[in-house]
Amino acid sequence: MSETQAALELPTVADFARTFRRIQSEIHKVIVGHEQAVEQLLSALFAGGHVLIEGVPGTGKTTLVKTLGHALNLSFNRIQFTVDLMPADITGTRVILSGEDGRREFTFQPGPVFCHILLGDEINRATPKTQSALLEAMAELQVTVSGTTYPLRPPYLVMATLNPIEMEGTYPLPEAQLDRFLFKVRLDYPEEDNLVRIISSTTGSDEAGIVPVFHGDEAQERVETLKKLVREVIAAPAMEHYAARIVRSTQPDHSRYVGDSVKSLHDEMVNRYVMFGSSPRGAQALILGGKVRALLDGRANVAREDIEAVAVSALAHRIMLNYAAHSDGIDAPQIVERVIRSVRATRS
Amino acid sequence: MLRCLPRCAWLISIFLHVKMPAAAHLSRAQEKLDIILGQVTSLRARLNWLALQHGLYLVLAIGVTVAAVVFAGAMLLSPLQFLGVAGAMGLLGVSGLWITVRSALRRRSNAQRAAALADERAGLKGRLTTIVQTVSSRRRGALWAYLIEDALAHRDEFVPARVERRRIARSWWTPLAALAVAALLIPMARTRQNLKIASNSGTPDITVDLDDLHLRPAEPGDSTGLQVQADPATMARLREKLAREGVTTGRGDSGKFGGLLDRARNLAGDVQSKLRGDPRPRQRLTLRLADNEAGLDPSDRRGPDTRRNSHRGEQAGQFKRDNPGEDEPALPSIDDALREPDAQGNLGDNGENGQDSASKGKSLPDGDDSSQSAQTDEQRGEQSYNGGAVHGIGADPDSLFGEASKSKMSAEGFEIAIEARPVEQGAKGAGQAYLPPKVHTPLNAHQQPDEPIPRAAVPPDDRTTIQRVFER
Repeated sequence: MSETQAALELPTVADFARTFRRIQSEIHKVIVGHEQAVEQLLSALFAGGHVLIEGVPGTGKTTLVKTLGHALNLSFNRIQFTVDLMPADITGTRVILSGEDGRREFTFQPGPVFCHILLGDEINRATPKTQSALLEAMAELQVTVSGTTYPLRPPYLVMATLNPIEMEGTYPLPEAQLDRFLFKVRLDYPEEDNLVRIISSTTGSDEAGIVPVFHGDEAQERVETLKKLVREVIAAPAMEHYAARIVRSTQPDHSRYVGDSVKSLHDEMVNRYVMFGSSPRGAQALILGGKVRALLDGRANVAREDIEAVAVSALAHRIMLNYAAHSDGIDAPQIVERVIRSVRATRS
Repeated sequence: MLRCLPRCAWLISIFLHVKMPAAAHLSRAQEKLDIILGQVTSLRARLNWLALQHGLYLVLAIGVTVAAVVFAGAMLLSPLQFLGVAGAMGLLGVSGLWITVRSALRRRSNAQRAAALADERAGLKGRLTTIVQTVSSRRRGALWAYLIEDALAHRDEFVPARVERRRIARSWWTPLAALAVAALLIPMARTRQNLKIASNSGTPDITVDLDDLHLRPAEPGDSTGLQVQADPATMARLREKLAREGVTTGRGDSGKFGGLLDRARNLAGDVQSKLRGDPRPRQRLTLRLADNEAGLDPSDRRGPDTRRNSHRGEQAGQFKRDNPGEDEPALPSIDDALREPDAQGNLGDNGENGQDSASKGKSLPDGDDSSQSAQTDEQRGEQSYNGGAVHGIGADPDSLFGEASKSKMSAEGFEIAIEARPVEQGAKGAGQAYLPPKVHTPLNAHQQPDEPIPRAAVPPDDRTTIQRVFER
């Protein structure tokens, strides 16, 4: 397909921005505040990634995901992760069913993972074995049960929530699984004004009516087309280098997994507090997130500002901090911001 | 042929209708791209011109400053100081030029850099950078046309005059500042130089018979010295004289270094003369007044030049031991003697007496040594008491040891406790005892070999007294 043909088939940049804003506005009919979180959630959707939502109870995590499903008119499933949840409860299993002719045979019964938008509520309450059942679905959009692989239908978005307060009886997500989330979005307590709006909108008799942006079966196709448009945004080599430099800068000098490290890049804070830096998936997340932001800004090219805007949500959950950081009260977003400052300084 | 015309027209129309719009579309897209790249190129040219200006201005400023300082140094400083200042300024100038050239090269822009600057200053968020970096790529993506249109819509924001308004580099003031410094420094130096010349011309020229002076080349680094400037013929004569006396290279251990320093000094002097605009650079030797005998050939010591100052000739006679060419062991020089007050005993007295003796020496006739020798004999006795290590230091020996101090031997006498033991016993277990070597020291002109004093007859008047003493 030629470039001209591809351009003709794709929606325009203005279409993308318009659709994006419409979805946002529909979600905000229910969700009060959390503008940044909603934008990151939609960015992850159009970038083809998954989102990890961290927030204290009652901040609207589940409501947000459900509202997104309604606004997009896509199938939506929810799994409440518990300690006794088994992988088969997620992926599905083969059960013996009787046919019309009376013959009994094993039939695959799909689990809740077979949908477009999957909400894994409090994913850290399940055992690592169960958590890892999601790995294949998230990374490869397929599920393998009893040696048979079942593809998932795109678009596919996993949104998992974490409760940072109740840590007893929880299992921290393995790094491999954390790395598969494009963004980590944080939901904080709402401000007073937003809280008042929440009270008035949820305690009355009126229910917010969400109008789906996409109708019927076109939802999947439209979302996939917009995802293709995101991939067409041009990232100049300088921007790719910039993203790579940021990711490299999150890796400490002492890490044995870092090859020929450019020591001048590394900040003292990184060397002191970081155990492991971001993986290459972090760089991919930076560029993809940057592309979505560029389209929202009406541009067909990625700018440094776009990369920097998504850096914290794209990299923070990929950086493993050491005990010194915990004792000194340093968290990963601070590290990322420091890294961006130092990379920006070396660039200038 | 005519039948073919409609077919050809049809084909042409098809070509025109189908192909031409696409070609036109492509050419329009290319035109737009060319407009964008043209603006970036002109911006790049402007940036490079500014970088070139920056380099030129700084080079000019450095050159003018260095030249002004060197010129002022030539006016005001001595040759060696001038040499140091000129060298330092040369180093500073070269390093400054190197830094400036590097800075100018770093400021040089390519298309990507110009595009990045335009992006930053016009707030284009990487549009131009992306275009410039992607234009050479084969696969530009489906949004390339959109990117071109988008960038072209902002073309007014990245015209060169808007991105970089300056046509003259910011460093334009540096050569002006350097010229101002030069304009202050050079007249000031010239004024001081003229004042110096005027003050020198006020003092009368001193004409000295060089034959009567004993001059030696100054040691390298001597700040005080006699500078002799003369016409080449006189300088040649002076050099011959110094060569005849064998002291042209009398610079001690620092001969090579001294020679180099002398050359450097001469070179600096020549450069200074040229810079000052002296019509004919005069040759110059830096000499110092020196001991007229030390270091000279012994045959020249009593030459006709020295006979005019006979007293100095006498003093010079005492410096035989200073000459290392003779077999006699060298005695400490006056400087060494002055540095060793412990060995001298009465240092201050000796100094005073040295001056006194010089004055005495002037007043005394040439051969009248009798009273002096008598006094010398008395003091020789004192010399043994004082430890006398200061003979032969270039002063009059009659007063080398200062005034005779009063004897500590009073009428009551004195006692010295001596602890002694046989040498064989003392040597056991203590190693070999040190026996000082027997050194035969030759006598100087005022010394005489020991001779037994002839027994004199006892005067008759004293016989009774002497007999009484011995009987007691």
